[in-house]
Amino acid sequence: MEWIGRSIPRIGAQTRARGKALFGGDVPLEGPLILKLLRSPRPHARILSINTERAMKNDGVEAIFTAKDIPGRNLIGLITKDQPLLAHDKVRFVGEPVALVAARDEESAIRGVEEVEVVYEDLPAIFTPDEALDPGAVPIHEKGNLLHRRVVVKGDVEDALSRAHLVVERTYSTPFLEHACLEPDAGWGYVDKDGTLVIVASTQNPHYDQREVAELLGVEKERVRVIQAATGGGFGSKLDLTVQGFIGLALYHLRRPVKLTLSREEVFLATPKRHAMKIWMRTAARRDGRLLALEAKIICDTGAYSSYGVAVATRAAVHATGPYEIENVRVESLAVYTNNPIAGAMRGFGVPQVAFAHESQMDILAESLGIDPLEIRRINAMRPESVTATGQVLGESVGLLEALDAVEPHYREAMEEWKKGPRRPYTARGVGLGAMWYGIGNTGVRNPSTVKVQLDERGRVVLYIGAADMGQGSTTVLVQMASETLGISPEEMEVVIADTGLTPDAGASSASRQTYISGNALVRACRKLSETLLEEASRLMGLPRGELVLRGGNVVSKEKPERRVSLAELAALAKERGVSLEFEGHFDPETTPLDPSTGQGIPYATYSFACQMAQVEVDLLTGQVEVRRIVAAHDVGKAINPKGVVGQIRGGVAMGVGFALMEEFLPGSTRSFKDYHIPTAADMPEVIPIIVESSEPTGPFGAKGVGEPALIPTAPAILNAIADALGERIYALPATLERVCEASIRAGWPKMGKGGGPR
Amino acid sequence: MVRGYSRPRSLDEALEMLARLTPRALPIAGGTDLLVDLREGRLGECHLVDISRLEELKVLEKRSGKIRVGAGLTFSEVERSGLLRECAPVLVKASSQVGSLQIRNVGTIGGNVAHCSPAADTIPALLVHRARVVLRSSNGSREVALEALLGGPYKALLAPGELITEFVLEDASHMWGEFSKIGRRRELAIARLSLAALARKEDGRIGELYLALGAGTPVPRRMESAERALLGKRPQEGDLWEAGWLMAQEMVSVSGPRPSTHYKEKAACGLLVRTLLPLLEDGS
Repeated sequence: MEWIGRSIPRIGAQTRARGKALFGGDVPLEGPLILKLLRSPRPHARILSINTERAMKNDGVEAIFTAKDIPGRNLIGLITKDQPLLAHDKVRFVGEPVALVAARDEESAIRGVEEVEVVYEDLPAIFTPDEALDPGAVPIHEKGNLLHRRVVVKGDVEDALSRAHLVVERTYSTPFLEHACLEPDAGWGYVDKDGTLVIVASTQNPHYDQREVAELLGVEKERVRVIQAATGGGFGSKLDLTVQGFIGLALYHLRRPVKLTLSREEVFLATPKRHAMKIWMRTAARRDGRLLALEAKIICDTGAYSSYGVAVATRAAVHATGPYEIENVRVESLAVYTNNPIAGAMRGFGVPQVAFAHESQMDILAESLGIDPLEIRRINAMRPESVTATGQVLGESVGLLEALDAVEPHYREAMEEWKKGPRRPYTARGVGLGAMWYGIGNTGVRNPSTVKVQLDERGRVVLYIGAADMGQGSTTVLVQMASETLGISPEEMEVVIADTGLTPDAGASSASRQTYISGNALVRACRKLSETLLEEASRLMGLPRGELVLRGGNVVSKEKPERRVSLAELAALAKERGVSLEFEGHFDPETTPLDPSTGQGIPYATYSFACQMAQVEVDLLTGQVEVRRIVAAHDVGKAINPKGVVGQIRGGVAMGVGFALMEEFLPGSTRSFKDYHIPTAADMPEVIPIIVESSEPTGPFGAKGVGEPALIPTAPAILNAIADALGERIYALPATLERVCEASIRAGWPKMGKGGGPR
Repeated sequence: MVRGYSRPRSLDEALEMLARLTPRALPIAGGTDLLVDLREGRLGECHLVDISRLEELKVLEKRSGKIRVGAGLTFSEVERSGLLRECAPVLVKASSQVGSLQIRNVGTIGGNVAHCSPAADTIPALLVHRARVVLRSSNGSREVALEALLGGPYKALLAPGELITEFVLEDASHMWGEFSKIGRRRELAIARLSLAALARKEDGRIGELYLALGAGTPVPRRMESAERALLGKRPQEGDLWEAGWLMAQEMVSVSGPRPSTHYKEKAACGLLVRTLLPLLEDGS
């Protein structure tokens, strides 16, 4: 293969490196009006009145909009429509938008926001799912405080528990996290000559944005066009509407250019977070390490509105077994409303949280049974034809054993040599493993993609791809697939990305789905084009169709390579003959919905697998943890662009280090990067990425996905390594200085040498 | 809200400006703390007087046995100075652990002291160097011990219109020094605790020892109970634990019990042990 498996440079990287890319905050128009939001200072309150009179008296203020100015349906949400764009009767979290000010300059906008008068009547606020589920709790939404309950049951758990040699039962907790994208949410808009409202924004989800804005405004979808600006990271936070709805509302009323850029503080305050979770887990095993049963109760704090809450709770339930075959399963997962910030999608949709639990359980079992941690994973690892918790029989692309094998030499070396090597006094070394599986695409629901390819009149191939590239590199791998299918180098193609006015709907760039799903759609479109071109060429050249191939921008005879016809000639000919050279390819992975009462079904067409190993050094005196090395083996099916895969792995590890050791968003107190720590380059371990390719028959060139999987095993591996170092385990993330120090003391450290000891 | 900005060309001009514009005048050097406060709207109306380029604040010399260090020196300049590496090792080590390279390139030691954060990295270092502070205003100058300037968290006892111009340190040539810091990450982290230590061993005994703790008390301070416990000793590991424990108790008695005490008590003790291990008899 010429283009598949090659690390071509990231498409668009040069533009960005040269500072030429236009991000959401870069408005190439003169004098847009500045938009600013008035946000609720109350976590839960009725709005008695909103008075904009005084604010409107400011010279620079052009307009102020409230809920009553929304002409269509003032209700948004990715799965469940339960969130107003602007609050009307009540507010449900601190930071909820209440009014939108449009002003000629920044200062007027700020003054306008300050002078809108809102009278609230406080309602009891609820900050934990436990309180929210109390029968006497005040309902945050009319339907109550339970957004979603997902059950996955299989086999006979009671019977398995009675047969088990060992049952391990623990409770784990994980905090809210902020995505911490380099680029805060931003966008701008204008009204086109034909009256279309054009919104250019930092987004992962342009076609959803378009539908949602049209519904808000009560206009035809075609009257709204959403174009993705260059986007500086998404990680799930730019799947929801952030600025798009407000820009649309202002355009609708004002018909002139506007811009809205959220401050970093607003991003922290008001954009969706990773769900905080409490996970109770009971795992039963035989004496030989074989897992018999898994029970879990997962409580997800979904915050004030649903966002992707249903998907997160469901995915957490489906993945709760970890990548292991377990015959008897009983999982219940609840997404619960509170008056905390909205929790939505964040890289992994709940799987990083449950992976912390199931991987801790594996190590506890291994230790109690006297089995090597790698071995117990191998004994239970999913393999081809394994049956999952939802009753799905896996296909042939299950590369977990290969990933474990790939990590093994590093693991043995670390355990047998590195761990025993010389080190500073009062430090301990530990080695830990984390394994994971991750279903590609949305869970048991349709999530199609359509891609369009065209050979234009000049003989140039143009790809119309709706998939937002927010830095993960989807455009690059999709173009490589087109190159492979059409025999044209990437530079010779034109690509139009994520513009609802031009590109078909590829669905969201989430769930690690674009390589697999849009990749398939694109290959299908390109194959249609190549078939037609070969047929046309066959007719023109008088050669049998089977003798021809597409190569280097020509159709060439395999036998006599000097006989060729260029795409430009074919395009001209096709135009003459009235043959269309525009094709769409469509792909929707084959899944079945999960049964509501048992959770049985086929939620995903394929899964990625991985195993990571962490080597950590723990300071027994102060609780400081240094992650020295991460070995990360990921089964991606096929690496279309190996450097891109490695980039995802390194980025995932960085995020995993943060999740493991320092990141924690505390509603009401975390305000910005001042108090929210993400790892810097100095905190990064050596990373050894290993690409495992267990080809997926239904994947484009065998590919699956790696975006989210890259992050999932890191924190479990680090926490297992800390437990290995200390001989004591931490059950709540992040493993802060305090928690590690505490665990160190619980373990009886520091164990003194000569000369006395601590009191 | 910034209502004005001036960049005086000399120290005298700066002092005159500060006097004239008081109380709105706000001296700015590196701005690494000030800009954060400004952004958070904590400073009210102000007029910035930029002192970052005043050569008079960049003094660096050894004179009559004392080391004079200009308050306008950046952390990076301190880190790179051969004189300070020799004569003020703890200040150099502390400066090299401030924030990140970008912050060290603009932030100044004078600003670090004037901002008077409980977690300021250079204050414990200056304390073990027994720094005195030279202050100037349009009315004249005065010199005080650093301790006397530390009024409370974020409260340096500077008179209106007064600038820190330099620090006068005892010469620490041939002394052993260390600065250790616990942060939530390795760089760009505010100290959860920090410890500055400066010592001289004589015939295997600890002849001189200065310890100062950062981020454990309302302002960084010398930890004399621990110093006393070790002075004159040929320390064994148990002595370090003893001293560490004394220091932790001193910290708690100054700060009173807080939610963070649970951790900081143990960590302070551990930090002392970790930091002073090189002073052990067998050097282990």
